[in-house]
Amino acid sequence: MMRQQFDRDIRSLDAVFSFLHRFAEEEQLDARASYVLDLAVEEFFTNIVKYGRGTSSDVFLEAVRSGGTATVRLEEQTSVPFDVTRATQTQFDVPFAERKPGGLGIHIAREMLDGLAYEYVDGKSRITLTKHLET
Amino acid sequence: MFSISVNEKGTVVLTGRLDAAQVDRAREIFSGLDDSAVVDFQDLDYISSAGLGILLATQQRLKKGGKAIKLVHMNRMVRDVFKIARFDLIFEIE
Repeated sequence: MMRQQFDRDIRSLDAVFSFLHRFAEEEQLDARASYVLDLAVEEFFTNIVKYGRGTSSDVFLEAVRSGGTATVRLEEQTSVPFDVTRATQTQFDVPFAERKPGGLGIHIAREMLDGLAYEYVDGKSRITLTKHLET
Repeated sequence: MFSISVNEKGTVVLTGRLDAAQVDRAREIFSGLDDSAVVDFQDLDYISSAGLGILLATQQRLKKGGKAIKLVHMNRMVRDVFKIARFDLIFEIE
């Protein structure tokens, strides 16, 4: 398992991607799984940075491959839980001119991942992403 | 690494990875567009919702004046992202 700590800052994104690419290389993930994990982690990491939720603590990433599944977990200390699995759905039935990008990232992540789970335990938020690998 | 440029034909050329940390550079170019244009994705390896947001805002602004951007040469993964976002209904994609 790989684990790394990141500053809660958008400028950490490059380091986040480096971590994910090292994981993809070491565990020989296929290109699609690697893309999907990049995209999903970016969405949730930037949400954590943007919406701070009452803390400036660092964000931890863990990544592990078990058989045909890759799992990445984002963990942060926060006093305000936010269950990403219950986030507002993107509205696709509005006219083009009124369409807004809000919620789009979470929608794409949900659609491309094979699993998305949230838990809040002992003041820590944990978002767990899973992606089945191509054989 | 991400770069954006406009070539001699007026085509906007995207290269590398367009993520949330790079959107300001993309916004700078797209906000300057005031006519229909082609956006070349040939060398774009990655785009997330941050980049999609810039493209959506640009298309909405241009459409008000009867203009539009057309997207060309997307790789398969990027195209899948556009389909899931239902952006294939908003943009002409070649």
